Amino acid sequence: MRTFRILFFKELKAYFLSPFGWLICAFAALMQGLLLSTAMKGFLDTPRTESLVFATFQAPTFWFYFLFLFPVLTMRLFSEESRSGTLEGLLTAPVKTWHVVLSKFCAAYATFLILLIPAFVHFKLFTLLTEVPPPFNTGELVGVFVILALMGALFTAFGCLASCFTSSQIIAGIVCIGILLIHFLLGLVTFFYGDKIPAASFFSFISSSEHLATYSRGLIDSRPLVYYLVMTGFILFLTHHLLDYRRWKK
Amino acid sequence: MIEIVNLSKHYGRHHAVDEISFEVQRGDIVGFLGPNGAGKTTTLRMLTGYLPPTSGAARIAGLDIFRESLEVRKKIGYMPENVPLYVEMRVKEYLRFRGALRGLSGTRLRTRLGEVMETCGLSHVRRKMIKTLSKGYRQRVGLADALIHEPELLILDEPTNGLDPNQIRAIRKLIQDLGKEHTILLSTHILSEVEMTCNKVVIIDEGKVRAADSPSNLVSSMRRAGRVTMELKIAPEVGESILPTIEHVTKVTSELLQDGWTRFSVFVAPNTDTRIRLAALAAEKGWPLRSLSRRNANLEEVFVELTRKD
Repeated sequence: MRTFRILFFKELKAYFLSPFGWLICAFAALMQGLLLSTAMKGFLDTPRTESLVFATFQAPTFWFYFLFLFPVLTMRLFSEESRSGTLEGLLTAPVKTWHVVLSKFCAAYATFLILLIPAFVHFKLFTLLTEVPPPFNTGELVGVFVILALMGALFTAFGCLASCFTSSQIIAGIVCIGILLIHFLLGLVTFFYGDKIPAASFFSFISSSEHLATYSRGLIDSRPLVYYLVMTGFILFLTHHLLDYRRWKK
Repeated sequence: MIEIVNLSKHYGRHHAVDEISFEVQRGDIVGFLGPNGAGKTTTLRMLTGYLPPTSGAARIAGLDIFRESLEVRKKIGYMPENVPLYVEMRVKEYLRFRGALRGLSGTRLRTRLGEVMETCGLSHVRRKMIKTLSKGYRQRVGLADALIHEPELLILDEPTNGLDPNQIRAIRKLIQDLGKEHTILLSTHILSEVEMTCNKVVIIDEGKVRAADSPSNLVSSMRRAGRVTMELKIAPEVGESILPTIEHVTKVTSELLQDGWTRFSVFVAPNTDTRIRLAALAAEKGWPLRSLSRRNANLEEVFVELTRKD
C-alpha cells in the first residue's frame, strides 16, 4: 500500500507540477462553460420540458470534448516510460506490476475527477448568480456526475491499455481515441438502425449516450454501474498482463 | 552472492543467452565483458528481474531470482545502460522518490539521501532538474539511485559509457571505493578499466561464457607468448634464414631500421620462452645484439582471442 501511495503521488505530481494538468483543466472548464451557456440560450429561445442538466449534456458537442480528454490524460502513462527506459528502473525496484498499473490509473482518474469540478461549480454558480429557481433538481445533478465518474473510470482504463501497447505517445493517443470512438459508436447502433435488429439490447446496454441520458434524468440505474465497474476492472487486468507480456516477449 | 546455473534467454530462434553458468563470491568486483550483442545486458536484466529467463536458474544471496523476485530486488542496486531517469524531476526529489520506493522512510531516508549525494558528488546540484544535467552527472544520479538503499549487490551496466576521461576516472575511483563494502557486477567494453578495478572477469560471447577467472590468471594462462622482438646488426635475409631453425620459432619477420640495425619479430609457440636460446645464438654467431624482449599479453589480447570471429 505504501508503494502504491508513493507511485500514485509521483504520477499525480507529474500532472499538476507542470502546465499540462492546468491547461487541460482550463480546456475542460471552457468547454463545459460553452455547453452550459448554449443550453441556457436554448432555454431562452424555446420553452423545454427537460432540465438544464439534461439539455447541457445532451448536446452532441459534449462527446467531442469529453472523449478527447482521455487520450490526452493517459497517452503518456506507459509509453513515455517505455520510450525513455525508466520502466526498467521502475520494474527492477521492489514494486509489483499491479502497483504500477493501479497507481497510474488512479492518478489519471483522479485528474479526470478534478476536471469535473468546474462543471459542478458552473451549476452551483447558476443557482447563486441568477435569481430564478434552478431549472434542475439535485437528483439530476448527482446522477449526471455519477455517470460521468463511471464512464471516466472505464475510458481512463482504455487509455491505460492503449498506452501500454506502444512506446510512442502519439500512437497511444490515436489507439485510445479509436477504442473510445468505437465504443461510443457501438452505443449509437440502435439510434441509427432502430431497436428491431438482432442484439439491439446489447448495443443499448453498452450505449454511453443512453446511460448519460438516463442518469441525467436523475435515474440511478444499477446496470450501467455494474457494467462500468466490471469493465474497468477487466481492462486494467488486461493492461497488467500486457505490460508483463511486453517485457516477456522483448 | 550470485550463482547462475544454465541460465538461458531465447527470443524465438535467437539465443541471446545460451546456458551460461558462473558464480560471484561476496565482496568480489566482477567485470562482465563481451562484444556488443553478446548478451551482457540481457543477463543483467534477468538477474535484476526485469526479464524472465527462458530456462535455467539463478540465485542472489540464496534467493531465487524468479520466485523471490521482490526480495531479490531489495538486495540489488541496479544501474541500467544509458541510465534512464525521470528528467523532469530534481535530483534530490528523484533520489527521495527512489529511496522511498525501496522502503526507506523518515530519518533513515534523509540520512541516506545526504550520504549518497555526498558519495557521488551531487550535493551542489541537488536542486537542479535532471534534464539540465550533463551526461556525467546523470550517471552519478543513476549510481546514487542504485546505492541509496545500501544494497548487498551492485549491478552496473556500462557505468562509464559516454563519459570523458576525467569522469571515467572519478567513477572508477568510486567503484573501487564501493567495492570495499559491496559486491559489484559491472559490464563494460573498456578493458583497462576491468584490469584496474576488478578481481574477477567473466567474458561472454554469443550468449556463452568463454572465460571466468581473475584477470591475472587469464592473462598468464593465455600467455600466447606471442612475439619476441630483437634488434641485431645483421642483414635481414641472414636473420630470416637462420632464426627459424631454432626450436619453437614459428615465423620471423624483419624490419630494417634507419640506423643500420634490423628489428626481428620472432613468433614463437605458446607457453615457451625462447629468449635464452635466441641470445645464445646471437653470441655464438657473434651478431651485435642491443635489445631482446617479449611482449606480455594483456587482457585486451585475451579478450580478442576469445571473442574474435575468424
